[in-house]
Amino acid sequence: MPILSLQNVVKEYLTDGLAVQALAGVTLDVNGGEFVALVGRSGCGKSTLLNLAGAMDFPTAGVVQIGGASTSALGDAELTKLRRDKVGFVFQSFQLLHTLTAIENIELPLLLSGRNNAREAAYERLRWVELDGLADRFPHQLSGGQMQRVAIARALVHSPKILLADEPTGNLDTATGSVILHLLRRLTREQKTATIMATHSLEAANLCNTLVQLRDGRIVEVTRR
Amino acid sequence: MSRLSIFYRLMVRPLFHEPVRLSLTVLAVALGVAVVLAIDLAGNAAAGSFHSSMETLAGDNDLEIVASGGVPESVLGTLFTQPYPLRISPRMEDYAVIAETKQTLPLIGVDFIAEGSRYATAQAAEPTKSQQQNVTENSIRQMEAPTSVWVGSSLNKSTGDQIELIINDRSFHCTVRGVYPDASGNESAILMDIAAAQRALQRFGRVDRVLVKLPPESNLQKWQQELSKVLPAGIDVRPQGTGTHENRKMLAAFRWNLRLLSYIALVVGAFLIFNTISISVVRRRHEIGIVRALGATRANVLLAFLGEAACLGIAGAILSLPLGRLMAAGAVKLMALTVEALYVSSRPGPIELSAWSVTLALSIGVGVAIISAISLAREAMEVSPVDAMARGRREYTARVHKRRDLLIAAVLAVLGAFVARMPAVAGRPLFGYVATLLLVAASAFAIPALVYFFSTLTGKLLGKLIGVEGLLASHSLAASLRRTSVLVASLSTAIAMMVSVGIMVGSFRQTVMNWMTNQLPADFYLRPAGNPASDRHPTISLELTEKIAKIPGVATVDRLRAYEISYDGMPVTLASVDLRALRSDHYSDFFSGRPTDQVLGELRNANAVVVSEPFTYKHHLKAGDTITLPLGESRDRFKIIDVYYDYASERGYILMDRDTMMRYLPDPTPSNLAVFVTPHVNPQEVRAKIIGAAAGSHILIFSDRDLRTEAIRIFDRTFAITYALEAVAVFVAVMGIAGALLSLVIDRRRELGLLRFLGASAYQIRKLILVEAGLLGLLANLAGFVLGYFLSLILVFVINKQSFGWTIRFHWPVAVLLGALTVVYAATVLSGLYPAQVAVRLNPLEVVHED
Repeated sequence: MPILSLQNVVKEYLTDGLAVQALAGVTLDVNGGEFVALVGRSGCGKSTLLNLAGAMDFPTAGVVQIGGASTSALGDAELTKLRRDKVGFVFQSFQLLHTLTAIENIELPLLLSGRNNAREAAYERLRWVELDGLADRFPHQLSGGQMQRVAIARALVHSPKILLADEPTGNLDTATGSVILHLLRRLTREQKTATIMATHSLEAANLCNTLVQLRDGRIVEVTRR
Repeated sequence: MSRLSIFYRLMVRPLFHEPVRLSLTVLAVALGVAVVLAIDLAGNAAAGSFHSSMETLAGDNDLEIVASGGVPESVLGTLFTQPYPLRISPRMEDYAVIAETKQTLPLIGVDFIAEGSRYATAQAAEPTKSQQQNVTENSIRQMEAPTSVWVGSSLNKSTGDQIELIINDRSFHCTVRGVYPDASGNESAILMDIAAAQRALQRFGRVDRVLVKLPPESNLQKWQQELSKVLPAGIDVRPQGTGTHENRKMLAAFRWNLRLLSYIALVVGAFLIFNTISISVVRRRHEIGIVRALGATRANVLLAFLGEAACLGIAGAILSLPLGRLMAAGAVKLMALTVEALYVSSRPGPIELSAWSVTLALSIGVGVAIISAISLAREAMEVSPVDAMARGRREYTARVHKRRDLLIAAVLAVLGAFVARMPAVAGRPLFGYVATLLLVAASAFAIPALVYFFSTLTGKLLGKLIGVEGLLASHSLAASLRRTSVLVASLSTAIAMMVSVGIMVGSFRQTVMNWMTNQLPADFYLRPAGNPASDRHPTISLELTEKIAKIPGVATVDRLRAYEISYDGMPVTLASVDLRALRSDHYSDFFSGRPTDQVLGELRNANAVVVSEPFTYKHHLKAGDTITLPLGESRDRFKIIDVYYDYASERGYILMDRDTMMRYLPDPTPSNLAVFVTPHVNPQEVRAKIIGAAAGSHILIFSDRDLRTEAIRIFDRTFAITYALEAVAVFVAVMGIAGALLSLVIDRRRELGLLRFLGASAYQIRKLILVEAGLLGLLANLAGFVLGYFLSLILVFVINKQSFGWTIRFHWPVAVLLGALTVVYAATVLSGLYPAQVAVRLNPLEVVHED
């Protein structure tokens, strides 16, 4: 069974009273260990798809299932629990809390879900992203690549089934971006996570198992390698 | 015009994007200004009333002749026989109580035969024919009857109506013979013929005041000297209204302290304006960069931020006008009661919102706003366009120099401690106020370090105790250090004032209670009925006094007589004690520490006095000094043999032996009686007998316990306005916390949205904001308590002492402080509810991906 399943998903937004369709009947299944790249022009619906996949938003029509549970059927508390357990997010602009150190940022999702041994798990994830010595640094003491690694470690700290990355290399130089992409691919393989990444980068797309091309809110092509 | 338009678009319009926060800031300023305005308006109304009846009805005279215990009628003879073209108008002046309404009004005895018609035409602004007729139609016979009175129209009486008056301890059924116009009710008085008034007051052969009208264009001083020469030494010739002036002077310290107390809310409001502008500067840093790049000068930026502050100030000031007027209506009642209890007979005058009041409000509102914003506006001015537009990895946060500020705080605190030891300036504790301001400033500078150390030290502990929300909250407060510090400073200032005034009032209350235990040795105390006031001393008839003294079971009766006299340009109460009636257990607290019997024994038949502490403080006197007192027609020297602690009146007491007083002022009627019951006799039986003996007389009888309860009631009422002022300041500060938390939520919306992405529930977001509110409250309570303690030392030992001359013993009112701090803390946490709700409602998708 796929960990993430989207069936005929439609998403409409109201902008100044006019309905704008961001997704128009998207169907997609993603399995554990699969590294999916969403590509397409700006406004084609990549971020909307990620938000729906992360249970941060609800479809206007169709069904989004995470681990077999339809997000539309869940209340706020259940959605929160679903995210805590099954979803990790990586953002283009890292979104680290500047008041927390690297290790504190990483352990935050575990603390929010009230789990024990958060610090140990956080240190382990820090090792995964090869930043062992920088645990006590604040975000402004890290480079862009290091910040994104911390963000990835944070996204994986609760061993999510789904990792959603929105332009993870968008704010990085090519070399650093490449390192991050390889890291994501390695972790996807090792952790059997379903990683879905929205990207403009050809290099990023080429590293993925599955390439999903979007245009005007529709999937125009799915290439599995 | 175009500049105004740009100012509106860039500075004013964004304010309306956060209507709740804008409203809270404007309301905070409005409340701060309104309190100052209310105290000013109420003070004018309460103090202005001295001028009302006695002085308005005195007419356009130039000089007044007064003497302690009254001016002998022989003086009138002397004056009338002088070859001068003077208009001489004798007056009897006292108070009467209207039995039906219990209203106390001035009772004025006027020589109607000489000046009746002159009064009617001179005092009425535009007297009608019928009003003039009312006076002129009354016959001399009617006038001289002690039951004929003339009243102001505000009493709603008509000619021929009956009115029952209580004068001293006796009741009079009077007939209204005429009504004079009294539209505002402020000139309301009971008028009698002077001879009738003498009979009613049982004061024969003397008048209370003689008014003198000089020929046109006379030299006042020259006439003052001329008249003094021909009159006995004890008679004082002075410009008319000197008594009123003395009263105003006496009230100055009271009004001054109340006015300064009203500035607390304004200071708290200033902190909040500082906070609002600070947020504005931080948020608009990027915009500042853009407009600077587009051609705006540094001066434009400075003016823009000062203009924004001025807008907040103007809006607050305009709103403060109706608020201040409303608050003044409540304040004036409390102030008038206090003035009457502690200083002088008074009736509140009308509250007048004049052009001056509007100017005052606008000046304070705009002034405080601009002063609060000036350093921030300068900071904004210094922003370089390149730095401001560059989006660094780390968001811009206002700079805070913790160590430098801590050093400044230490210097200010030391300076404050030094300044607090300086003496009063012209009777005002100016250095005490400066010390207070220095300590408040020291605290404000020390707070960033306190917040930083508290947050970093307790972050992990809070994480363990409260959960991750505690950790995040403490980190967040430390991260936005300047904003947090300003908030903590504003709330802690309000709390400090609350704590310090609480300690001062609590100490004062306890001191008074201890003092009363020592001061009330008798079983019963009697005084004439009517509302008591510090400057009114109605008398008890001699017959009744004798009757009570003879009641079986009454061991002894102490007859106390009091007069209002003037010493060195200030009113003071001269009182006598019956040394023969004193018991050995009568205890007074003298500065020398000597036993009471020994001290009072020295008063016996000697030109010696003991004086109260406030009297010595006002006049810079001490035991061993000699004072000259005008008594009756004489002026004699008296040695101060000791000084005693006294909290009954701020005007001060001079106490002498009754026999000594009788030598100068031979009126034996007492003002009060202290009755001692024979040992082993049931006091209640004696009380019943006293009540029986006093049947028909208007006398109130109190046990020592009643008197203590009554005194504490008056004490608490006196300080009610103080509590009200503090409550407004705390309310303003709590509102500021709510507003600031709201802006904190809006500024941190991306972070809060991110937390939702990371798995935070709505409950956790709400809890986070409430924990932040709780931490702010805790820090403010801690800082406020410490600052409040030091301020209380200045209030008790410097400001109170230098203003009023009272020695107050320090006392911790633990229950009151605990209760007040708990309420403030709860209010601070509750103020986070709305911001927390706003935080929960944020859409994480929008806020994380914006920008």
